[in-house]
Amino acid sequence: MLEVKDLNLIYNQKLHVLKNINFEVKKGEVAGIIGLSGAGKTSILRSLVLLEKPTSGEIKLNGKDLSKLKERDLMIERKKISVVFQNYNLLSTRTVYENIALPLEINKEKNIKDRVLKLAEEVGLKDRLDHYPSSLSGGEKQRTAIARGMINNPEILLLDEPTSALDPNTTDRILKLVLDLNKKHDLSTIIVTHEMDVIKRACDRVVYLKNGEVNFFGPVYKFFIEKEKEIYEEFYKEINIDWKAARKKSGKENQKLIKVTFYGDSTHEPILDEISKKYDVKLNYIYGKIEHLKLKPYGTLIIVVEYEDRDIEGFMKELESKVYKLEELL
Amino acid sequence: MIDEFIRATLETIYMTFVSGGISIIFGIPLGILLFFLSRSKKSLNRRIYYFVDFFVNVFRSIPFIILIILLIPLTKIIIGTIIGPNSAIVALSIAAIPFMGRLAENSFNNLSQGLIDTATVLGMNKRQFVFKILIPESLADIISGITLLLINLITFTAIAGAVGAGGLGAMAINYGYQRFRWDILWLDVIILIFITQLIQYYGNKLSKSLRK
Repeated sequence: MLEVKDLNLIYNQKLHVLKNINFEVKKGEVAGIIGLSGAGKTSILRSLVLLEKPTSGEIKLNGKDLSKLKERDLMIERKKISVVFQNYNLLSTRTVYENIALPLEINKEKNIKDRVLKLAEEVGLKDRLDHYPSSLSGGEKQRTAIARGMINNPEILLLDEPTSALDPNTTDRILKLVLDLNKKHDLSTIIVTHEMDVIKRACDRVVYLKNGEVNFFGPVYKFFIEKEKEIYEEFYKEINIDWKAARKKSGKENQKLIKVTFYGDSTHEPILDEISKKYDVKLNYIYGKIEHLKLKPYGTLIIVVEYEDRDIEGFMKELESKVYKLEELL
Repeated sequence: MIDEFIRATLETIYMTFVSGGISIIFGIPLGILLFFLSRSKKSLNRRIYYFVDFFVNVFRSIPFIILIILLIPLTKIIIGTIIGPNSAIVALSIAAIPFMGRLAENSFNNLSQGLIDTATVLGMNKRQFVFKILIPESLADIISGITLLLINLITFTAIAGAVGAGGLGAMAINYGYQRFRWDILWLDVIILIFITQLIQYYGNKLSKSLRK
């Protein structure tokens, strides 16, 4: 559906903002673009809709390279991608209704009223239609901006930091709305954000930008598993595991310190219990967590295994076959 | 004497609003032109911008009384005479159009880049952008500008009065100054203050009602 190939953006022939960016977004998928400030998130967003002309590379929408189109053709193709800007960019002199109706007016479409009312109902703005943006809350402004983006049935909805200005409750509701719309309309959605929680809760695949390069592109669960250390260091600035204590406990003979990663439905099964009983080893849990990525659970356990004279090789082999990832630490 | 006052007041109002109207009709498109030219990526358009910009500055830097004199030949061609309110309107408009253009351009420049980007991604053409975003979103600002323009024009009509335009300015000079009638001079000033206040009051009110 949307394919970005070897995208480069260089400002003034010296500032290399985006370096060989490659990723794709499938039909109906929610893709996240995450990175710290200055990683190039805004530049990517602006390039995708050609607000910034890429220095080289392709941005293919259904096989058509947007970066090579003439201004007139681009004007038409652009309407297939709706952008919800970070600060909403609502027109202050238009009511909520008139703001939502704007894209339809531009395309001189019919049934404007019916379509706006229907969508307003869907996004929960029915009672606010005759209000001006200045009298709306942040969440309502975001809803209006999303509705304006949705009204002309785009193929891709592009959201720039949709939740960074909102409180946790409103964030919840906006993400829920985005996911509802995504499901109901089978709409490809791209969320640009710096919040890891948004990626966890809403996205199927993620593009991790670092210093203008794609550091990771793939499914969200893989991202959390493969880039775990980096994510904690860069985004959370905390390490939850008390390594000192872990080392102390596992320094003895006949002990192993292992890290088990679960993903998917097996997370909730008593795998460890069964296998440990089978091999008669003792488990000492020193760290554990389960998180939910969109719908599927993902968990990590750090365990000290006391095996004495038991078949530790067999235990490890069987465990490895049943969990997502098994690592021996230390 | 009362008749004289009424006639002069009406002349002043006539000159102010007619030249004001003409300046709005030509000045706002000039402002739109300046706005687009200054943001154009084509180097030719940028050069045109500097050229137009230069002329706007030239007309704004000539003292009005000198401009009236310089425009005498043109006024003669257009109106047929250089005496009376209609003749004054020529010079008043030519002085006020660049001023209005500049005021409009400044208002347009206050439009956020975000709204310009929004227009681009919505696939708006220039016309749609002007009528659906640029003018509506800047209107409150433009009304404030027009208020300022009209008040400036009142002062200009008084200057024009010195060289035969009629109106309250002419009356103040002819009767008040040259015949030492301070009562007439003062009454004249009071009427001018009154008109100015009225324009400012309604201008502010209109501008405020447009800010949502």
